[in-house]
Amino acid sequence: MRAAVLHLAFFGLSIPLGAETILATLREKCLGCHGDGNVFGKLDLRTRDSALRGGSRGPAIVPGRAADSLLYKSLLHQGDLKMPPGEEGKLPAETLDAFRMWIDEGAPYEPPKSASVNWGNYGRDDVWAFRAAGKTDGSVDSFIDAALKRNGVTAAPLADRRTLLRRVTVDLTGLPPTPEDVKAFLKDPAPDGKAFARVVDRLLASVQYGERWARHWLDVVRYADSNGYSNDYERPNAWRYRDYVIRAFNSDKPYDRFIEEQIAGDELFLDDPEAVIATGFLRAGPWEHTGMSVAAETRQMWLDDVTHATANVFLGLTLGCARCHDHKFDPLPTKDYYRMQAVFATTAFARRPLPFLETERRDGFETGKAQLDALIAQTEAAIAGRKKDGLTPDEKEAVKLHTKHLAMHKESAFRYQPYAFAVSSGLEREEWNDVGPEGARSYMKKADYASAGVHVLVGGSLQSPGQVAEPGVLTAIERYSGYPAPEIPKTASGRRAALARWIANPANPFTARVMVNRIWQYHFGKGLAENSNNFGKMGKKPTHPELLDWLAARFIESGWSVKAIHREMLLSRTYRRASGAAPNDPENRLHSHFSPRRVEAEALRDAMLKVAGELSEARGGPGTFPRINTLVAYQPRHAMGTLRPIYRPSPTKGARNRRSIYSFQQRSLVDPVIETFNGASMDMSCERRESTTVPTQAFSLLNSEFSHEVALSFAARLSREGGDAVERAFELAFQRSPSASEKHEALKHVAAMTEHHKRTPPAAAPKLSLERSITSELTGEKHAFQESEPPWTYEPDVRPDDVTPAVRALADLALVLFNSNEFVYLY
Amino acid sequence: MKILPASISRRELLLGSSAGLGRIALASQLAQDDARAGALTPKKGHFPAKAKRCIFLLMEGGPSHIDTFDPKPKLDQLHMTEFTKNPTKFAAAMNTGKRYYVRSPFEFREAGSIGIPMNRLFERFAKVADEVCFYRGMQAESVNHPTALYHLNCGNQFGGDPAVGAWAAYGLGTENQNLPAFVVLPDKAYPQGGSANWSNGFLPAHYQGTALRSEGPPILDMNPPPGVAEAEQRANLELLSKLNKAHQLEHPHHAELAARIESYELAFRMQAEMPVVVDISKEPKATRELYGVGHADAEVDSLARRFLLARRMVQAGVRFVQIVVSGWDSHDYIEKAHGARIRSLDQPMAALLADLKRTGLLEETLVVWAGEFGRSPDNGVRGEGKAWGRDHNAKAMTVWLAGGGAPRGTIVGATDEAGGAAVECVHPLKNFHVTLLKLLGLDDARLTYLHAGRNKQLSQTGGEAIRELIA
Repeated sequence: MRAAVLHLAFFGLSIPLGAETILATLREKCLGCHGDGNVFGKLDLRTRDSALRGGSRGPAIVPGRAADSLLYKSLLHQGDLKMPPGEEGKLPAETLDAFRMWIDEGAPYEPPKSASVNWGNYGRDDVWAFRAAGKTDGSVDSFIDAALKRNGVTAAPLADRRTLLRRVTVDLTGLPPTPEDVKAFLKDPAPDGKAFARVVDRLLASVQYGERWARHWLDVVRYADSNGYSNDYERPNAWRYRDYVIRAFNSDKPYDRFIEEQIAGDELFLDDPEAVIATGFLRAGPWEHTGMSVAAETRQMWLDDVTHATANVFLGLTLGCARCHDHKFDPLPTKDYYRMQAVFATTAFARRPLPFLETERRDGFETGKAQLDALIAQTEAAIAGRKKDGLTPDEKEAVKLHTKHLAMHKESAFRYQPYAFAVSSGLEREEWNDVGPEGARSYMKKADYASAGVHVLVGGSLQSPGQVAEPGVLTAIERYSGYPAPEIPKTASGRRAALARWIANPANPFTARVMVNRIWQYHFGKGLAENSNNFGKMGKKPTHPELLDWLAARFIESGWSVKAIHREMLLSRTYRRASGAAPNDPENRLHSHFSPRRVEAEALRDAMLKVAGELSEARGGPGTFPRINTLVAYQPRHAMGTLRPIYRPSPTKGARNRRSIYSFQQRSLVDPVIETFNGASMDMSCERRESTTVPTQAFSLLNSEFSHEVALSFAARLSREGGDAVERAFELAFQRSPSASEKHEALKHVAAMTEHHKRTPPAAAPKLSLERSITSELTGEKHAFQESEPPWTYEPDVRPDDVTPAVRALADLALVLFNSNEFVYLY
Repeated sequence: MKILPASISRRELLLGSSAGLGRIALASQLAQDDARAGALTPKKGHFPAKAKRCIFLLMEGGPSHIDTFDPKPKLDQLHMTEFTKNPTKFAAAMNTGKRYYVRSPFEFREAGSIGIPMNRLFERFAKVADEVCFYRGMQAESVNHPTALYHLNCGNQFGGDPAVGAWAAYGLGTENQNLPAFVVLPDKAYPQGGSANWSNGFLPAHYQGTALRSEGPPILDMNPPPGVAEAEQRANLELLSKLNKAHQLEHPHHAELAARIESYELAFRMQAEMPVVVDISKEPKATRELYGVGHADAEVDSLARRFLLARRMVQAGVRFVQIVVSGWDSHDYIEKAHGARIRSLDQPMAALLADLKRTGLLEETLVVWAGEFGRSPDNGVRGEGKAWGRDHNAKAMTVWLAGGGAPRGTIVGATDEAGGAAVECVHPLKNFHVTLLKLLGLDDARLTYLHAGRNKQLSQTGGEAIRELIA
């Protein structure tokens, strides 16, 4: 109901909204009997005139009055006349809605004209992003200052060096600066601008830069190391894509090439192994196929996901709406959606053999393999010798459980094997067919990838295939910008290459704008166009459209250099402004000052580890397993038919305390510290992190085992390094000395807590039970069994009873610093 | 703007992890003082409605309608008739091949004033049948657990969208600011798909379902790790408050600082109130026994505790409580498996309705019982023809509603004579979602949130309320 109202409100009466879909449905479902050859009931629906004239029962359509139109009434299947006939014939509700609206709008038979520039029914401003960028001249500051002046707003002064260094270091590397960095910058005799430029260059050249900015990209592409859904198997080679993204940012890979590699690296640059790894992008979304899923559906879920993701990530368009009906707000007809989908119709999942690269981390492979082998051996031992017959119900469930775990561990073992989580055009080799450990039986065969196109699915439903859509791109882009749509080959190979080239092209009005807008968003808190994944009508319009176009042009001119754009933005006065009040610009839409922000979940965790001196320097390789809340680690979780294994942290501290980007990203189990602080969804593209403040964050930061462990490590570091511990603690955490009163309070606290800890010996951590029980699907009875401790020993973290009461007291101070507002906000 | 106060009495009250009742009363009073004009403030719905809150009993695994509330005598005739279902494009491997019809191994009785059929094992539940509206017309879309579960809980087969409880909290806020608005009481083992089943999705994090834990503190990290004394934490918080205060003076224009300080205060009000709410020993012995707390069968005891807790939660002002009861996926030996499930569920479930009614809460509390799909009248041939069970079936199922403006003691809709598909009052799941919201006073079409450039809603694309399910 509401959908209809919106349709009409936005499109007015003259708009042939959905006409294309309607006509396609008429052709598919009606003309067989009422037009092409047959005119049952003397009704011919081929033209508007003949439909209005109607048949033996009278007019089929009364323009403007769906409720009085026989055509619509028969489609509803409520009266005696039911069309298309039979219970199976009834069209999906969405299609019925579309028919009603179409008739109410006058039932136009002409599809929208697409000759020359015709704004059609879209406001010029609503399709701003479809139009070619205007030529503009200036700089970040010139555009920003002009708007400030126009609005009579005074900008804030530039921030002091200390504030600025913390801001830019976290921004570019995701880590706070060291006290030594601060000292060097404060002492740099060069003028502020020059000294700051040196800092920016240093940070851009650091390896931590790529780790920080790859995390942003992984948010957008909804990266994970597992499949999601019921079994949530590991994607054992997905980490190579994560490391590829880090390398791409660190080497400033030209963005056009970065796009081409991710969409069609296998077709365009087969000799470049990086490009094959890059196609992991196409498979980053959640996907699972099992004996309980319908192959046609899981395939369609992927096709929808990849179509939507490609448009979302690279073009900033939300194409998902057009799956069922022509997009309500943007010039994106359903036909275009399926044309773009047809580009992927021949794409098969492939686990491609691909030797490891020099740049890929293989340190620790041997240890990792040995650990996994031990786990496999342990699991095999739990099953071995158990014959199928004569098992007690408890034993049966235990065998089922261990059999599943074995399959999971064996799948995980592929992480050390030289394969790429990739695709091929057509199923090139049967042995590459990568449909998951439980899916091969009923999934697609080689021949299934040969199709020329895909069916337009009426109402988005697989059960209602409409006409065939051949591979193509979004037609409105050519219409509004003049950038010609390419010919996309109908052969199995080359479709994605053509699509990638069409996107990664200076003439595509979206591509550069979307990326510079994302970069702006991460630097300034929100994009010039605030919805970085939606450049359509419903997204917020850019606050500074000329600046956006200028940046896009600069981006292209620079050879699509992301680092060049960082410099344009960071070296501006706009970026260097202090935070503070601006009564005339309260939401900071004009960028009169810097908007303070909370650091993201990963940056918070990494900063705690770094300050504590525990952050591992190791980079890359398969995901590692940090210590997470023990109750969560041991939480029994269902998989198909049984329970999943417990979460097992990595044995060594070095592996546990790596930067968060290297943490294994499991869709069904997120580290609660990350989850609580608004971590990114791994199921949908995350255009921007939320920063809601909720009480569970206080619980997490104040009470979690993680916080207490890191605080203790921080204290141990302070005590180990000697000197004035309070002074040093503030310098490391806040990059400043404590004020006199802060120092007084801190010392008083540490002294009081030292006394307290002398009186109070530390408590031992409780031992959690590994007893498991499952309600059997067979009997409905509970069956209990024991899960094993991991077959390895843990390198221990520092424990309260390892240290003196004075160090435990310093840990109390450290915990307070981690919880303080100054630690979590950036100014 | 609230700063953690220096006065000892208030501090004690906020930090008390062994809080007594006196402290709680005071805490609630304080909570009202500074009731946040924020995300969770109670809000008026779109229409007047009886239901002010909801208890959603999620039956994970797909309970068989044929063996619970929708008996099919026809299957007695068809029993063991073999046929072959050819693989089609739209069938899972599970549902194809050689199959036979399976009769229900259960006896049925008629309950309530109109004679509602139900499995005879529902001994106590039969006695409250006149409170319940059984709906047999619903159809899901997926026959795969995780996608069907996401669909039932979040309106979309892909994970990542907000759960029904999150939408309800978003639309109505909550009555008790010291407790989460949306509470989940999972089985010991989490369902497939995990916590995404009670996610806030793209809604702000205030609306996320909080899963209460059956061991340890009810909310994760609600209490400090073992060995951290109350005095230590109090001293830490005092220092934190001083640092934050000084910091706030440096950044007077940064409004979020006050909110973050407030969130610590709220956390500790929650820390004080939650243990009291979850302490079911506070209930009279008769009530505990009514539910089956302390029952010799550990399964009954475990369910009883959660069902009683659900009542305590809604009574304390929680907007939406979801209980997850798993174990319904009976592909084989349905007599044993479903039988055991029903036996342990019967008493707590009947007690919940009786207790809500007795306390006058039922009028304003909507109780919903639903699985992610129903089960098939036929089964694959396995276990030498003795292991009778049923596969998944999205086309037919029974769900029921009670209280909160739902019809009483009736049956709506029907399935075909073998129970293979709904044939009367047939509605897709999204219409059921629209109906639930409507019963809570919310209009799915107006309960929207702009995300990724679209006004999103629970039903995804809009739907209609099932008027037969609204009294």
